[in-house]
Amino acid sequence: MALILEVLDARGEAVRERVRLENLPLTLGRGYDNDLIVDDPYVDARHARIVLDDTGSTVLEDLGSVNGLDPSDGRGRVTRLALKPGTELRIGRTIVRIRDSDQPVPAALQDLAERVAPAAETQGWLNALWARIAITVAAPFATASYVWLASYERSGASDGFAAAMGGAVLTAIWSGIWAATGRIIVHRFLFLAHIAVVSCALLASILYAAAAKWMEFLFPDNLVFAPIAMLAGLALITATIVGHLRLATTMTRQRRWRAGLLTSAVLVLIASAAVLVESDTFSDVPEFSGQLEPFPAQWLPAGDTQEFGSVALDLKEQVDQLASDSLRTR
Amino acid sequence: MPTTLRLIPLLVLGASLTAGAAAAQEREGLTSTVFDRYSQRIIKIQVLESRSGTRTGVGSGFFVSDSGHIVTNYHVVSELVHHPDRYRAEMVDSTGAGQKVALLAIDVVHDLAVLGAAVQPHRHFVLDPVQVTHGDRLYSLGHPHDLGLSIVEGTYNGLLQHTLYPKIHFTGSINPGMSGGPAITAGGQVVGINVSTSGDQVSFLVPVERAAALVKQVRSADYRPPANLLDEVAAQLREYQDVYLADLFANDVNTVEIGPYRVATQPAPFFRCWGNASQRTERLYQTAEHSCSTDDYVFIADDQQSGVIEVTHEFVTTTSLSAPRFFALYTALLERDNTPRGTEEHVTSWRCGTRNLRNASAPLRAVLCLRRYRKLGELYDAVLKVAVLGQRDSGLVSTLSLSGASFENVGRLTNRYLEHIAWR
Repeated sequence: MALILEVLDARGEAVRERVRLENLPLTLGRGYDNDLIVDDPYVDARHARIVLDDTGSTVLEDLGSVNGLDPSDGRGRVTRLALKPGTELRIGRTIVRIRDSDQPVPAALQDLAERVAPAAETQGWLNALWARIAITVAAPFATASYVWLASYERSGASDGFAAAMGGAVLTAIWSGIWAATGRIIVHRFLFLAHIAVVSCALLASILYAAAAKWMEFLFPDNLVFAPIAMLAGLALITATIVGHLRLATTMTRQRRWRAGLLTSAVLVLIASAAVLVESDTFSDVPEFSGQLEPFPAQWLPAGDTQEFGSVALDLKEQVDQLASDSLRTR
Repeated sequence: MPTTLRLIPLLVLGASLTAGAAAAQEREGLTSTVFDRYSQRIIKIQVLESRSGTRTGVGSGFFVSDSGHIVTNYHVVSELVHHPDRYRAEMVDSTGAGQKVALLAIDVVHDLAVLGAAVQPHRHFVLDPVQVTHGDRLYSLGHPHDLGLSIVEGTYNGLLQHTLYPKIHFTGSINPGMSGGPAITAGGQVVGINVSTSGDQVSFLVPVERAAALVKQVRSADYRPPANLLDEVAAQLREYQDVYLADLFANDVNTVEIGPYRVATQPAPFFRCWGNASQRTERLYQTAEHSCSTDDYVFIADDQQSGVIEVTHEFVTTTSLSAPRFFALYTALLERDNTPRGTEEHVTSWRCGTRNLRNASAPLRAVLCLRRYRKLGELYDAVLKVAVLGQRDSGLVSTLSLSGASFENVGRLTNRYLEHIAWR
């Protein structure tokens, strides 16, 4: 068994140096002729020494220093101190700690950090240049089509073109910011890859919006859709952020997903809070779904007109509640 | 032709001009006589904010008894009904003396109110039935824009055609502030009470019978003014809507063809209907519209009115739009907001429900929006919007809008509208 002396920083957190106490005596001080040089202005040039005493114990002796030896057990300054595992003291403003050589240490951490940028270049279909170009072209095309199909005026085509151009400019700015961030962190400016990530997100959201319209038409006022919309939003934002982080940082996969989920959860929470506040605020403009789609009428899931009576009753309950709420608060 | 004969037409013209001038002079003389004789029976009514004494509104009124009963419009004193703790009213007579008045009775549907003042007027009007014929001269009195008591000459033009309850069409300029004043014959018989105008000398009077009935009620021995005037307003509105909504769309619905659809029109005689078609070349679609609406509305407060029913059908067709684009248009038409506005003081927010339905003739998408009156018991505004499905290049959006209806009537009318109207 041997003793190990650890020199810590002033706050006692980081270990600056470790010395095995074998070849004694050993001198400590700020001077360059010491065995252990302690870089601390409050430490003397020759501050103390460690010796083996008559009984064979390891002892620290003050060499007449200005600030002396100050054990952390609170007994005050001493001139001589027996060193045992666990002993801790202050020399000047430096903390010194004694450890046993068979002090246990935790198992090594597994290194999950991939050198992301080169790895990303070599795996995943999105890394193929043709895939990136295809997606980058598809996104504005899809935007234009979506806007054009949703318009019924003569200006529909130019509206679609304008929306696609606007979307492309925003995509470029957003991707530029991520690429610049990546340039700083992983020293790679992956502009086209970031554009592909945004374009994927854009395509997914357009597909989702179209699907949502159809669902709204086929199954109006369905309570399942609000949570689905929330989850879809959460998934889309998370995946987009993860995609960007993978290209622009050295974060581990786990940390990327954590960061993505956290960001999107915050965004979704803010959005939900806004919806809640709005539903609680008075408005004389009704909100309802009048979504209509070209669907063969004979296949349309539809109730008979009598069923509409329960809709009216349900609405009555809601507005009666609103009226009685306001009476209470007035 | 002999000269004399040629002169005859000129002479006739000259004679008639002289006679016309004389008649005008006589009438002017008569107007000032009417004014002199009856102006003392007319008072100004002002509504004041109780704490500060600030004036918030001015109207007119007139004495109908020797014990200080005054007839005016409900809308002149409506603030007292909604905020009795915040507002008070006073009358100012022809000498300029002010006097506190109390609100004794209201008839919100006919926009009338009876006030009581602790005064004994020297003269007052008697509200007896009166015979007038189309074209008779009437004199409307009141305080236009608080500029002092004024007299306006005009003519009686009969009762309005499209109203549930009778209303007199008076051709003469009634202006704000004259509300509640009387319109009388040269002999001082009250024909109606000034109530509203749509400008250009087109003005309206409440027939005197309604005021007479209300005054009679107030002067009966066992009359007690309602403890809560808002409850009284609610009760009157409830009774009113039962009268005009109960039989709507019940049987023998009048229909009109619009595109390939057959839709309801003129649900009752008190509706007025319009049609309109638009084929603007810059558009990729054509629309045709047919709508019917009641002329009547009930004034409840400055920012709330009730009793309006509206039916609108909008047919849309295209030869240029693909199905997805046409349905984007169809969605926009169905989602277009044409609901009545409202304020938080009087109504709740809307709540809406949507369903796909099938009636006897077609699949439909139906949306019902409902909101409730906050202070007037169980009365609702409701808007039912229906889109007829089944075509890829044409469609019909139909809207039924009710205001101030009981839930029973909302349910009943919604159902009839969805069921009995032959869509195609």
